[in-house]
Amino acid sequence: MSNEASATLGRPPTLSGILRALLQADLTVQLRNGQALLLTFFPPLAVLYGLSAGKRGVQLGSPIVKVSFALTLGIALIAILGYTASVARDRELGVFQRLRVTPAPTWTIMVSRLAVQILSMLAMSVVVLVAAAVVENVRLDPAAYLLTLLAVIFSSAVFLGVGQALVGLIKSVDTVNAVGRLSFLPLVALGLFGHSDIFGTTFETISRWSPGGAVATLLAGAMQTAAWSTDTWGAFLASVLYAVVFAGVGIRWFQWSTR
Amino acid sequence: MTATGQIAAHGLALQVEDLHVSYGPKRAVDGVSLGINEGEIFGLLGPNGAGKTSTLSAIEGLVRPDSGSIRVGDVNARANPAAAKARMGVQLQSTSFQSNLTIREIVRLYAGLYGVPLTRAGIDDLLADVHLGEEASKRFSQLSGGQQKRVSLLIATIHSPPLVLLDEPTAGLDPQARRQLWDRIERLRDIGRSILLTTHSMEEAQAVCHRVAIIDRGKLLTVDTPAGLIEKHKDDPRVRKVAHGQVTLEDVFIGLTGSELRD
Repeated sequence: MSNEASATLGRPPTLSGILRALLQADLTVQLRNGQALLLTFFPPLAVLYGLSAGKRGVQLGSPIVKVSFALTLGIALIAILGYTASVARDRELGVFQRLRVTPAPTWTIMVSRLAVQILSMLAMSVVVLVAAAVVENVRLDPAAYLLTLLAVIFSSAVFLGVGQALVGLIKSVDTVNAVGRLSFLPLVALGLFGHSDIFGTTFETISRWSPGGAVATLLAGAMQTAAWSTDTWGAFLASVLYAVVFAGVGIRWFQWSTR
Repeated sequence: MTATGQIAAHGLALQVEDLHVSYGPKRAVDGVSLGINEGEIFGLLGPNGAGKTSTLSAIEGLVRPDSGSIRVGDVNARANPAAAKARMGVQLQSTSFQSNLTIREIVRLYAGLYGVPLTRAGIDDLLADVHLGEEASKRFSQLSGGQQKRVSLLIATIHSPPLVLLDEPTAGLDPQARRQLWDRIERLRDIGRSILLTTHSMEEAQAVCHRVAIIDRGKLLTVDTPAGLIEKHKDDPRVRKVAHGQVTLEDVFIGLTGSELRD
């Protein structure tokens, strides 16, 4: 048999081979998960359409701001609800323990999962940007599209960091799901009002500097590079801070097993 | 293999020396030393919470020991865990795989993780060899308990490791499935693999193990061949007290570990 050769050698496999195997499996799991696909594409498109309709839509900001919020919502949904649920479930089932007894370095197991989440976010962003061109007539120049996709990758670090912190600090699947839903309001939905003073200026400031608000500002800045301002730099720095703090907590306290 | 519980001076597939493992203040493994010879099936017997799985977990690299040394062949497992893991195959007590992958995809994933190049036809051949050819497109959760154990054992040995660690491999199986798995374990032994298995079953220990160690409260109490253990402990008053007639391995086990219920 072809696997006999490795028997006598007992050599660790190559890193690229390990990553390829993990990525292939994680991508297959993601594509086959209908619920994850629905969560990836439907809510940001629904929000984009919803924010574009009616008088309130006008008050919430410019079309660019609405697109940036739809992107923020999509990224946050994938990271805070989708990613955390899959990690918590697989940890409870013992999937990670099975992977950890192979020669694969533990970081490759998580990097593969994160890479697939970022791919999902990029796919969602492309769909939202196409829809924005149709619904809101938001058309960017090629450089702005590229910068927006880079900002999406960067924004994903913020919310994947939040997701990692959630799943690192909480072991139970049910609690992870419940806390993920509860934390959605302060972390993400609050950011919706960062570009509007409909609830007053204090609320607007809090909203603007929340993780959702910072990411929405960053994405809006990437979409209109001419209007990049000190506020955008501030949002960029706030996003760096959120990503480092949340990811640091999530990595420091992450446990591979529920035992 | 030596005739008794002695560790051979050379040809060790696994050597564990003075292993200590703790979970917070609780000491799970307390100075365990054991050696497994090449081509030997070694059984670790113990009641619930005795330290069997913790010992295995330390060898597998799942928990960090407080102290002690672990050598897999000539590899220091604590200093070079990746090389040690490449030389061992592991079947965990309760194994689960990604729920959305088919059996064929699971095999492909683990072949990749061990650096074993397998074509789709190669994977199907391996599955057919364990009578799972028709289950290749099913999910792991759709298989029966016996089929799941066969998949787990196939994956544990997909890279033909010199050392195979099996944590209660036949727990929950019906007698037919258990016998089939014993046959597979013995076939692994026949092609030179060394096997360390944990079990609650005296029948299993006697049927497949060359040597058996009894562990309780984190300490190895005794090591020998199943017949040697009976011979060595048949006159022990604790064993005589629980024996009904001729002393069995179970009498030795209960005599040495006590008859109170464990969690």
